[in-house]
Amino acid sequence: MAATTESVKADAAEAPLLNTRNLYAGLGLYLVFYVWVRWYEGVYGWSAGLDSFAPEFEIYWMNFLYIEIVLEILTASVLWGVIWKTRDRNVMSITPREELRRHFTHWIWLACYGWALYWGGSYFTEQDGTWHQTIVRDTDFTPSHIIEFYLSYPIYIITGVASFLYAKTRLPHYQQGLSLMYMVAVIGPFMILPNVGLNEWGHTFWFMEELFVAPLHYGFVFFGWSALGVLGVVNTECEAIGKLLKKDLV
Amino acid sequence: MSASQSAVRSRAEAVKVSRTFDYLIIWTLFMVLIGGYHIHFMLTGGDWDFWSDWKDRRLWVTVVPIVSITFPAAVQAMAWSRYRLPFGATLCVLGLLLGEWINRYLNFWGWTYFPVNFVFPSNLVPGAILLDVVLMLSGSFTLTAVLGGMAWGLVFYPGNWPIIAPLHIPIEYNGMMFTLADLQGYHYVRTGTPEYIRMVEKGTLRTFGKDVAPVSAFFSAFVSILIYFLWHFFGNWFSQTRFVQST
Repeated sequence: MAATTESVKADAAEAPLLNTRNLYAGLGLYLVFYVWVRWYEGVYGWSAGLDSFAPEFEIYWMNFLYIEIVLEILTASVLWGVIWKTRDRNVMSITPREELRRHFTHWIWLACYGWALYWGGSYFTEQDGTWHQTIVRDTDFTPSHIIEFYLSYPIYIITGVASFLYAKTRLPHYQQGLSLMYMVAVIGPFMILPNVGLNEWGHTFWFMEELFVAPLHYGFVFFGWSALGVLGVVNTECEAIGKLLKKDLV
Repeated sequence: MSASQSAVRSRAEAVKVSRTFDYLIIWTLFMVLIGGYHIHFMLTGGDWDFWSDWKDRRLWVTVVPIVSITFPAAVQAMAWSRYRLPFGATLCVLGLLLGEWINRYLNFWGWTYFPVNFVFPSNLVPGAILLDVVLMLSGSFTLTAVLGGMAWGLVFYPGNWPIIAPLHIPIEYNGMMFTLADLQGYHYVRTGTPEYIRMVEKGTLRTFGKDVAPVSAFFSAFVSILIYFLWHFFGNWFSQTRFVQST
């Protein structure tokens, strides 16, 4: 009885397997931020975003671009640096319970990556369609591009790389090498950002209209396919978690 | 780490942990699929899906099923082969439709002020259900590709008919005859998408008589079968769990 009481006390004292507060805080952070971004677009897209030669365009949109680029570089450097710097150098020695806990933390990262990818790949990309197909494009840095290409894409890239780094530095299952599909799922969507170079080059010199199915956009399509790498990541995780739980589930 | 150690305290906790992972996996998979499938679809068939005046009887019917059977085929390959889950196609399509509806409402209408009955997305749900049902009943990817893929293409137009029919009513306007959907496009000017860009029915398929939509649907069904096979193998490739050694 005494031993049981001690065990219950120890359970109560230890960190939860899944820190739901971190999960909801992470998802909530993206949501609140993007709701604010959408509000900003709604107000300043029409009032200051139609003419790139206007002084207000410089104030409300180009300054937004400069600030976000600086913040993204800082965030990526600090976040990736901290995850790498605090890596577990004895990752193969952790207990199964600690490994399970870390898998849950890893899934918080993955859930945030999925959420960020939704905002970038779905919400802001199709939003760019309605803006460009209806508003004249007079610069590469239109309001929709400043949000889509240079904000929402870097955010999912930062999140995806952080998730990959977390798995690589803290989970025993990922010490076998580099997970091929994890790299596809992170590096592929990352390549959408460099592909913006092709897109802007093509629109600047060749094709001013905004036909979404134009071959000029197929680079985005090809790299968008790599999001399917998540299938391999799910399978890899199911194998790893299955090893931890199998004998207790049968 | 000892092999005899357990990660959980009891079977009940193991079950709870397993269920929690299920929810996290479903959320993440769903969100990533919305992002990937939507960006693929909007850039390969999007123009026909954005605007009602692009939703014609020829190219909309031909292009949309062909480019949209891709992700459902890939996800079915993983979900059925590994986990015997018979809802891969429906999961993809529901994700795509959710992403599209959010966008059409909040951005096409909410930011650029197009009425929703001009920018509603195509309905892909009937085809997705058929794909999943054929796979579940047959357990065969070959049958799913041939029968399901064909059904995917053939059912697209009938599945959308109740939605699009009111906008395909012919009208006379300034001495010209066109559809109500064409009139919507005429009034809602899209500066970045001038009329010469719009790719809609030109009429050569009428050498078969008036049956433009059935001929288009049949061709679309044929190509959908081929695309299903191709993307099934893509799905298998993306499902692998291989690790590579860093150099």
